[in-house]
Amino acid sequence: MDDDKGEPGLLEDSDGEADLSDDKSSKGENYNLSAINPQYKETWRTSSFQHSTKTCLALMREALLHHRWQEAAEYMACYTQRLEEPKHGPVVQDKELIWRIGTEILHHHPNSKMEDYNNIYERMKDSGFTNYLMISLEHSFHLLQNGHIKDAKHQLSVAESWRHGKKSAAQYKMTELILVYKGLLDYVMWCDKKSTLNRAEYPDRLDNQDMNNLFRAASVHLKEILKKPGVWDPFILSYVEMLEYYDDHEEVIRVLKDYAYDNKFPPNPNAHVYLYRYLERRNASQEKLMKVLKVLCALVPSHELMLEYSRLLLKSDQITNIHKALGIVLEMLDFASWRSSLDAWNLLKAIIKKLKSQSNWKDSVAEKMAARKDWWPALHFTRFHASKDSEELKEVKASLTKVLCPGLMLQYTAGQTTTEEGTGKKTSKRKRMSSISQL
Amino acid sequence: MDEEHTAGYKERCAVCSEVDWGISDEGRFYCRSCHNVIERTKEVVEPTFNPSSSRITTLSRGARTKTPERGQQWVICEGFQFILRNQADALIRLGVSPRFKDEVLCELWRSFLQKSGQAYASSLGRPSRTAGVTTVLHRGGDTESSTNASETDGDSCNAGSARDWSTFSGSLDAVSYLSGHMRRTRHSLLSMKRTLALIHVALVWSREPLTLSDLLRLVNEGHVPYVNAYQELPDEMKLQGKDALLFRVQSVPSHQVVHSDAQALIGFLKLPAFPPISRQSLLHPSLLSLRYLMDANLPDELHPWVCRLMERAGMADQTLHTIHLKDCPSLPRYDVQTASLIIVTVKLLFGLDDRTEWELSHEACDQDESGAMFNPRRWFRVVQAALSRAQHRRTQEVARKQWVPQKPLLLSSQKKSVALKTKRVAEQVQLCFEKLSGRPVSVQRGDPSSFRFLWGVGDSADGPSLHQKKLDGILTLKNGVPTPSNSTYWRPALSASQMCSRLYSDVEATLPRSFVWLLQLFCFLLDVKPAYLLQEVLRVEALVVKGNGKRGRKPGSMLRTKIQTWA
Repeated sequence: MDDDKGEPGLLEDSDGEADLSDDKSSKGENYNLSAINPQYKETWRTSSFQHSTKTCLALMREALLHHRWQEAAEYMACYTQRLEEPKHGPVVQDKELIWRIGTEILHHHPNSKMEDYNNIYERMKDSGFTNYLMISLEHSFHLLQNGHIKDAKHQLSVAESWRHGKKSAAQYKMTELILVYKGLLDYVMWCDKKSTLNRAEYPDRLDNQDMNNLFRAASVHLKEILKKPGVWDPFILSYVEMLEYYDDHEEVIRVLKDYAYDNKFPPNPNAHVYLYRYLERRNASQEKLMKVLKVLCALVPSHELMLEYSRLLLKSDQITNIHKALGIVLEMLDFASWRSSLDAWNLLKAIIKKLKSQSNWKDSVAEKMAARKDWWPALHFTRFHASKDSEELKEVKASLTKVLCPGLMLQYTAGQTTTEEGTGKKTSKRKRMSSISQL
Repeated sequence: MDEEHTAGYKERCAVCSEVDWGISDEGRFYCRSCHNVIERTKEVVEPTFNPSSSRITTLSRGARTKTPERGQQWVICEGFQFILRNQADALIRLGVSPRFKDEVLCELWRSFLQKSGQAYASSLGRPSRTAGVTTVLHRGGDTESSTNASETDGDSCNAGSARDWSTFSGSLDAVSYLSGHMRRTRHSLLSMKRTLALIHVALVWSREPLTLSDLLRLVNEGHVPYVNAYQELPDEMKLQGKDALLFRVQSVPSHQVVHSDAQALIGFLKLPAFPPISRQSLLHPSLLSLRYLMDANLPDELHPWVCRLMERAGMADQTLHTIHLKDCPSLPRYDVQTASLIIVTVKLLFGLDDRTEWELSHEACDQDESGAMFNPRRWFRVVQAALSRAQHRRTQEVARKQWVPQKPLLLSSQKKSVALKTKRVAEQVQLCFEKLSGRPVSVQRGDPSSFRFLWGVGDSADGPSLHQKKLDGILTLKNGVPTPSNSTYWRPALSASQMCSRLYSDVEATLPRSFVWLLQLFCFLLDVKPAYLLQEVLRVEALVVKGNGKRGRKPGSMLRTKIQTWA
């Protein structure tokens, strides 16, 4: 029809008329989708059908944003006709819209039931292959959330064995996810079995066949995923739990160490935490523990385990370690989240106390505080803090002010709030107040 | 229950080496002992395919060629004939006189077929697949009878079966209809839009008060079959393949498009002079304006002013409204024209420059204690409230409108299975949400009415009626003759022809808001685009002001003219 396309009159004709430009096959051309996607451009080619569905989508969006779920459900019922768009067939975006918006409506609508969810998920899976795996995964999550573990597992099994054409990279990744969640579901079932274990029936707790099967099935998948770089926290925890139950400690150590120390994996503080906790459970030596925590310290200086680390360092009684501990605690207190922690301040007090046994402790403290002198007072020792902190904390902190910030007149004293922060001027009023505080 | 499907498959399962197959919900085979799902799916039986109804098969292509199913052979114009008949019947059910169909429409249709050479001609210009063979078809005089194609057919039968996949269609001549040769003589083509143009011309000829905007409104609301009209064709006429390009529409055409098509049709058919549209006929502005005044909730006293304006513009003459190929070859747009007249009258009386009408409202308010005077401000408030509600309702109706037919018509059969599957999916999802929301998707069509708004008292009224109000507040007596208090009249320095080349949004920015609002009101009533209406308003204004002295076009957006006496 190329010769006719030149005529301008043809353009007017198309309004309301069946789109004759579809008819290319009579000339032997291949039927290609036009380069301009006609559905999302408001040109003269936008038909009333597209206008209707666009309006429907806009109104549905309004209803969703205002949480009018009933109305949104009505519009969704009208929007499904978009799937039957005769010219080019439903577009992937339409199907995805219907899937996502549909499930959202079901989440919030008061009358939605499990059957509705199952229905919608199954239908949307039928509708196309691009989103199939993703929908399967979401479906199984939903079943899992509602306690239907076996159904969830079944969904994943079906999805696992699904194929469409050549496996694309995205499909490959999704399939991996599906496998690992299958493993996780096996673990969940294993946990269920464990909790209902009857001691009398199975005197040897390792002998339960079902549990063993589940364990084996789960470990296959979990092991696989742990070889690939990524963040797999829930999976590794479940795997470790199962391995501990079966007393396979070498495997646990190996898995945890790989997870924490393998450079290909993204830096993950949790990995070190898990390793530390495990070693703690196994009563490992202090050196080992400190080694693990050293790496964690570099990653997350404000981690709560830093308190542990400092305590360990303090216990070790070596001077370098004590200096290190001081540095660590000060770094922790740099962060606002530890500001009112009694433990942290007490620890700092203990370290300073221990340090005082050294001769040149003032220098080492000053060295550490050098960078902090400017802003620590504002961070910890203002009048506002004095009014907010508890009595115990105030005591501890007040006693440290002199040590940490010698030479500065701070208005942080236990017992009373005082006037504005001075800059060295000594007024008689202040003197009186500071004397009162020392009572 | 699955045994019948799986009986033939006796392979061993890859996982557990058993032969115990079942069919899952998705239609896939799975092993009953280990639940391993495999690729094989159950054959879906297609209920509509009837392999035993093949008529002629040829040697070429073998079993891949879809053989024509049982049904009569038909040509495109027959299909359109049925659709046209259904549309006319629908209009008659709505109250149009049967004369329109029996006397006018049929004659028009026959004359069209004859002029375009599709029927009633001794040598039909319609090319068939086999070149050089002219086929003669006899048609009964009765449009109702469904006649068979009789002697054509050894040739076109063979032609039909030997055609290849790309020219597949249910009708005999869809391919040739769409061919380049036919498209070049475009006026002889039939399309869904053409049916509306035919009906419009027939309605004008029979002087029915149904204007084009009314007709399009009926089509939009579904009272007149248009979208998916092909579903009502008799079952023997099978629509497939290329027929889709002609019969499947996804838009209702706009006023402008149908009007120009009707214009072209009149020219093509070389019709004689139409029956005259006199002042007594309902299409004439003098009577049609009554209807629009009522719909817009304007007082009845405005009508004499409209008539006077009409006379001044020289539009009262019936020859202007009657189509005659020599005197008045253009098809008048009765509805748009009348609306423009009303707009110009309102503009004359109220000013509509964002200032005068409010001042007049103040005065009317001050003078009036009883509330019997027409107050523009009150009118604006009442109508605006109703208008915004009605526009919102219309948007919702547009959003909820269902376009998909029960019987899908696809361009190529290859996609049929996919289309059926998506249809099933869509229906089930729709059912789920219908159940959830408790509101069925298909709307019950209420009875159509000529009026968009209902003014008066009562629950279903859109607002209080202002029809009985007096216009005394905006009129003053001058020399014993009531004249509008508003003494200036402004016009945009734009002619109707210049309007074509400008963007409406640019022009609209220069116009006063009250005027734009009035345009929007009438656009809503008539369902046309504002640019279209503005063009007509400019044209009518030019006619009214014509002969008002030679005024040079000042550069600038407005021209103000002193209103002279309107005696």
